[in-house]
Amino acid sequence: MQHLDRAHKAAWTGLLIVALLLPALVAFDTYLIHVAITITLNVALATSMWMIWSLGFISFAHAGFMGIGAYTSALLLTKLGISMWYGLWLGALMSGLIALIISVPLMRTRAVYFFMASWAVGEVIKRNFAYFRDLFGGWDGVFDINPAKINLGFVQIDFADRVAYYYLSLFFVALIVLIIHRTNSSRTGMMYWSIHENELLAQHTGVNVFREKVIAFTVACTLAGLTGALYAHYQTYISPKSFDIWKSEFALVHVIVGGLTTVGGPVAGAISLTIVDELLRATGYFRTMFFGVVLIATVILLPGGLETIPGRLRRLFQRSGK
Amino acid sequence: MKQLEIKNLTMAFGGITAIDGIDMAVEEGEIRGLIGPNGAGKTTFFNACSGRYPVTSGDITFRGHQISGLKPHEIARLGLVRTFQHVTLFKSFSVVKNVMAGNYLHAQHSYFGSLLRTRKTRRAEADSEQRAREILDFVGLGDIADKTASSLPHGHQKALGIAIALAAEPQLLLLDEPCAGMNNDESRQMINLVRRIRDTGVSVMLIEHDMKVVMGLCDKITVLNFGNIIAEGTPAEVREHPEVREAYLGSQANVT
Repeated sequence: MQHLDRAHKAAWTGLLIVALLLPALVAFDTYLIHVAITITLNVALATSMWMIWSLGFISFAHAGFMGIGAYTSALLLTKLGISMWYGLWLGALMSGLIALIISVPLMRTRAVYFFMASWAVGEVIKRNFAYFRDLFGGWDGVFDINPAKINLGFVQIDFADRVAYYYLSLFFVALIVLIIHRTNSSRTGMMYWSIHENELLAQHTGVNVFREKVIAFTVACTLAGLTGALYAHYQTYISPKSFDIWKSEFALVHVIVGGLTTVGGPVAGAISLTIVDELLRATGYFRTMFFGVVLIATVILLPGGLETIPGRLRRLFQRSGK
Repeated sequence: MKQLEIKNLTMAFGGITAIDGIDMAVEEGEIRGLIGPNGAGKTTFFNACSGRYPVTSGDITFRGHQISGLKPHEIARLGLVRTFQHVTLFKSFSVVKNVMAGNYLHAQHSYFGSLLRTRKTRRAEADSEQRAREILDFVGLGDIADKTASSLPHGHQKALGIAIALAAEPQLLLLDEPCAGMNNDESRQMINLVRRIRDTGVSVMLIEHDMKVVMGLCDKITVLNFGNIIAEGTPAEVREHPEVREAYLGSQANVT
């Protein structure tokens, strides 16, 4: 119901235009386009994780559900020859289905218990991929998850091409962010935040809190599954390690650094931290350490995250204007 | 017509029996007071009626529906809404958003509507905001509708708590100590508000420690002690009841 004001609209439009022109802006540099694709996938993961946060939960199973989407789509292709175009949707659906089943017991837990339970769920999903060697390929993972080609008659697009894959990925990520933004800025989002703020009161005003939690968790995990399928066909190789707890943890860091109260937060966090992470690549062994320093510095120097920057700037200018 | 009917209600927690087989009925359109010393089982009674805790045994019927055993959101849907003793709000929401959130049951929420932002959804959202502002005007918070809830003084927070409950459009409103922590002026406004709520056709049941409020406001009073009803009647009857004076006010007390 907080409909976007003009400044927000301008910012989102600007971001979309930059994203659309990006391959040209980086002069079709393969490495930079790779970074851009990584950014889109991280944005999708962080945003859907943030959707669960809007009900007051941090799910450490998120990378696991991303993995379910990835493995579903990968195996459909490698074992049954079903192309990516179906794999993406079926991967998302599978992830959503499993999320629906798991969330029934999971969403009865709260706070730190949810945190531990979701951690366990994420770990169990990963271990399952490693354990069932015949089906999932064990720790070696799945190879040759090729992206699809489409023939439009006059032109043939091979999504093995990075620029083409970038646009594909951008399309789906924009869709994911749009879905989450729409949900969050409407009555549904108000209901979610009211559960976040005061579950007891929400319940006594007629909200079926448990049902809404299950739905939100399922939707967020469906979107994570879609992200996973996109990831699989981009990397062409996945293993259980791709979806371990660190993946969830990085997504959480993106959300925290970006900001927790608006959908702009995880988007800004994922974009900026992916870039920082890539810049730190040169430091090799110390990369994680520097990343930690950046995280701590952000939390201390910029409480509330990147999303608070526009407000801070506005106040700064108003003060100097006087 | 009887709105709320309680038959042989017992609430036990482990070895402690907080409510020990009480019978009670609340008539439509009345303001009922529920009083008793600390630990008498008043709030437990509210928790039983609103579905917060499961009923140990006995029946609660509300407008012909059996509500013992239902979940809080199902009971709210039937038109029985409560407030809480300690202020409970959606603290970081603005005042008007608090009331809109309370209006959930009547805001025609649908996932597809939210996603597609249809004309119907937008109209429902506008209506809900309109309704919330009307309720805020009614409880006297209309001019601070856009402030953050946590920034309000205590009296206003209490009133907002009631506004949230009213947004759920109850038939029977349970108020848990609406005047707790209020000064005389604020109490008087609260009494006035409760009367106006009743005049809109909503029955009210309230727990209150402030005798001036209870005696002046309620049509009928029920006195609980150690989980049993020891007296029931008009304020005048209850005031003269020897057991009430003994248990609740001390035998020598002179109640005014």
